[in-house]
Formats: sequence, structure tokens, C-alpha cells
Amino acid sequence: MTDHRKILWKILAFSIAMQWLNTCPAESDPPESMQPSGIRGTAPRTSAEPSLLKSLSDWKLPETVQIHGFASQSYLHTTGNNFFGHSTNMGSLDFTEMGINGSWRPLTNLQTSMQVVYRRAGKTDNQDLRIDFGFLDYSFLSDAEHLAGVRLGRVVNPYGLYNDTRDMPFTRPSILLPESIYIDLNRNFALSGDGIQLYGEHRSAFGDFFLQINGVYTRTEDPTLKNFFTSAMGSGELEGEPSWVGRLMYEWDGGKVRLGVTSAKANARFNPDAAEFKSSSLSFEPILFSAQYNAEKWSLTGEYARRELNVSKFGPAAADLGMIGESYYVQGTYRFTSNWEGFLRYDAYYPDRSDRNGKKLAAAIGQPAYNGYAKDFTVGLRWDVSPSVMLRGEYHYIEGTAWTSELENTGNTAKYWDLFGLSVSFRF
Amino acid sequence: MTSRRWQTARCIAFFVFALLAFMQPVRAVEVVVNSKVATIRLTNMEIRAIFTMRLRNWPDGSRITVFVLDDNAPAQVEFSKTILDMFPYQLRRYWDRLVFSGTGQAPTEVNSLAEMHDFVASTPGAIGYLGAEQIDDKVRVVKVGNP
Repeated sequence: MTDHRKILWKILAFSIAMQWLNTCPAESDPPESMQPSGIRGTAPRTSAEPSLLKSLSDWKLPETVQIHGFASQSYLHTTGNNFFGHSTNMGSLDFTEMGINGSWRPLTNLQTSMQVVYRRAGKTDNQDLRIDFGFLDYSFLSDAEHLAGVRLGRVVNPYGLYNDTRDMPFTRPSILLPESIYIDLNRNFALSGDGIQLYGEHRSAFGDFFLQINGVYTRTEDPTLKNFFTSAMGSGELEGEPSWVGRLMYEWDGGKVRLGVTSAKANARFNPDAAEFKSSSLSFEPILFSAQYNAEKWSLTGEYARRELNVSKFGPAAADLGMIGESYYVQGTYRFTSNWEGFLRYDAYYPDRSDRNGKKLAAAIGQPAYNGYAKDFTVGLRWDVSPSVMLRGEYHYIEGTAWTSELENTGNTAKYWDLFGLSVSFRF
Repeated sequence: MTSRRWQTARCIAFFVFALLAFMQPVRAVEVVVNSKVATIRLTNMEIRAIFTMRLRNWPDGSRITVFVLDDNAPAQVEFSKTILDMFPYQLRRYWDRLVFSGTGQAPTEVNSLAEMHDFVASTPGAIGYLGAEQIDDKVRVVKVGNP
């Protein structure tokens, strides 16, 4: 069975279990809730003294099922290098995102959620439907000061400030996330995995603490990641390996200050078809520090990551490769009005921090030195036309190509390049 | 010269007065719950945890159902700033983070304070907010603040 199929089966099994659970009386339900109800736990809780008026207003009561979604289309125009399609010359409309999200909370401590996404992003994405998350969430502790529980299924990786909701354009600070930390070429690998999440939350007068730890099999659908192996070792299969991600967040005064530290060890294995190559494994071990200050009119955000990458038995020589990289960005956002917002950002990425100008890379494998880093200065605007419609525009001035895909840039590339983006997004 | 000084003094007095008038805490909205909810007081921490959709049950275990207005509705802005001491955009971020990572749900948005009143009055475990003029004996006001 393919990965997707497995997940679908899990979800189906969950929903059946949920339906069964829901036919049993819930602990705190008033007995009236056992009256003829609607379907699948969406039944409104009716209270005593039924009357026609009452039942009419009851019919409109909030349900425990919620459906949300989004759709976004971007236009990207670049000079020198392609990003998300043939973005040079006339620009590209290859960046499309659509998602639908359902959740159901039949009991106060039990929720099941799923998000299905369709995404196009040039050759960096397989352009298909995928389940970005789908899990069962049970909290065994919930009071005024604590929340603790477990999630099972395809769970979201707690990673920095923006990874958890990177699917959803309205939650990102810009059309493209700061690529140094949230490199889009590996978005599936980074976003979620199949396994378990343990979570805990503690609220106090000194602020709130959030801890999440995932033990998962990584997702490996990213074409650029696979190409890293196939370009050196021919065809083969890239598979997820047991991995973990953990994040501790601290929030002061309702989120005015947010501080976080994330650590992870994400693994994958490439099994080449050709017998002369050995199976090669990849291990990515980042440590990421996040900070954000939120005032009424402005926000200041910064993240820094030290990223260690090790690849074993790679290529014809079965070489062990290792490097420590660095990435960081600083971003200022200003809210002119409640629906107009502007931002400035400086974002830098060095895959090998001992080779910041790429000269060693150039000497070793003959690639241009500017493949060894990327520095991106971005300025952008956001206009929330209505609560459900958003327009964005942004301009990037970039030096280096470390976060572009070799799948999209086969010929001549450029050291200095521009990226101009426009997007229109809807939500419900 | 003296009249000039007098004028300056009057001017300053006027501004101080105006400033004081503006600084008066205006609590135009009050937190209300369904009349069957047993809780009579919520701490600042609890009210934030409820409206950021992270505290989902009352102390007796029953479900909390949260009602809000549109992000830009004056009463919503007022409620966020004066009672939660948060900016409306922060609330929206909390809800979006929960919904689009699957780890929670969004509050129920209603169209007007009149609708808010009816929903809170008729939904067990409901919480919302109302202006003084909409408050009657069908809903109950909850005190907010640290004891």
C-alpha cells in the first residue's frame, strides 16, 4: 500500500471508532442529549422545556464539527533563476495552493482533525492531493492551568514559529516563508510525519509554556530531496525513517512575547535500484531558536537555526558527507490599519557554515560558488480586502541560489536575482 | 504677560482634563455565560485560555462553547483590548494556529450582539460578551479579574 492509502485507512478506522464512541452517553451530557439526534455527533445539545421557538434556535446551535478551507494563487516573476515553475521571462502561475480542513470534537477531550491539500509549485512539488495531517487527539488532563495529551496519526511537526500552519497562506508572514528556515523544497518532509505526538501546556501568572514532542516516520514526497539521491545513484526508493522533533515555546502576556526552541533528528533512507550502490541514509539535526515581539501596530520576529546534515554511503564512492549549516532571518511587520500590513525581512542561508562564500563547494564539485549560500532581502505588503480575501505583493532581492531547485535550474543560473510575487487568497 | 501665562495654564489644564477623561477605563462590554454555568468568576489567565480556545471545559467537565463577533466589530475589538488585554489580530492567530494544525477549533462567530445574547442564553456551557443594554436575566454576568 502507498503511504497515502495507509493514512486513509487510519482515518477511516478513527472515524468508525469515533462514531461508535458517540453512540455511548458522554460523561457530562444532560440526558436530553440522548433524544433523537442528528447525525455523527453534530447534534445540538438540547436543553429542558422544549418549545417550537426553542427547538428552532437549537437547530442553529454550533456543531462540534467544523469545516474550514483556503485557496491561493500566486504569480511569481524572477530574473536569472527559476522558482516554482518557469518564472523568468513572463513569470509563472505555477504556485497554487488549496486545502480543506475538517475537525470533530465529540467529547471535550477528544478531537479528530484532517487537512487535505492540493499544491502546485513547479517541479518542486508532485502537484497532487495529499493528507498534510490527519490524527486523533486525546487530552487526558485539562484544567485551568494544564493541558496534556496525545495525538496519533499523521501529526504536524512542531518546528519554529510558522511550520505548523505553513499550508495556510493567511498564517504566513509573506507569500514565501523565510526560505532559510522553512525551505520549501522539503516542505512535505518538514511539515508532518506518521506517528505520535505528546503535548503539554502549562499556564501561569508568569506566562504559558507549551511542549510538543513527535516520534514519527518522515514523509519523503519532495522531488528535490529525492533528486539529491537519484542524480548520484540512479533510480531507487526514498523512504521515511523513525525521527523525532520537539519544541518548547514560552509565551508571555497572551503572546506579546513568544520564545521557542526546537530540536529534531529527521531521518530518511534511499534504497538504490542498482546493485553497485549501497543504501544511503540522511540525517538532519537542527536546533532552532525563535523569538517574536507583538505590539499593537508592529511585530518583530527572528529565528536562528544551526543545522547539521549527515549523509552516509552516498554515491558511487559510498562516501560519508557531513556539514553544519546556519540560517536566520530578522523580520519587522507594521500594521498601518487593521487590514493593511507591510514587512521588511533579511534572510540568510549557509548550508555549510565553514564555506560561507561557497568557494570550497566550487573547488570540490565545480558548481558555481553562489550555490553555497543565499541572502534574501524582502519587502512586501498585505491587504486583507475582507476577512476571507487577502492580496499580497512582495519583492525579493537575492544573492545566491542555495534554496532554488536544481530540477528547475538546469542551464545557466545567476548569482544576483530578483523575485517579484503577487497572490490572491481566499479562506472560509 | 500674565494673561498669556493664564492662557497657557488654561490650555494645559484643558489637555490634562481631556487626557484624564480619555484614560478612564471604559468597560462597555461584560463577559456573560449561560445561566446554567456554575462559574461566577474567571481569572485573567482563565478568560484568555477560554477565548484562545485552549481551555475547553468548565471545572465540572462540561463543554465550553465560545461566541465571538467578526474581528473588526467594535465590540470584539473592545472586548479583546479591555478584557483579554490582547489585540484582535493575536486572537485570530491563535485560532488559525489551532484550526490549521488540527490541534483545536475556532470559536463560533455570530453576526450581532443580539444574536450573541440569544446563543449564550440558549446554549449550555456558552460564554460570550454583551453591552450593558443587552444584559438581562436570561444570561449571567461573570466577573473577570484576579481576586
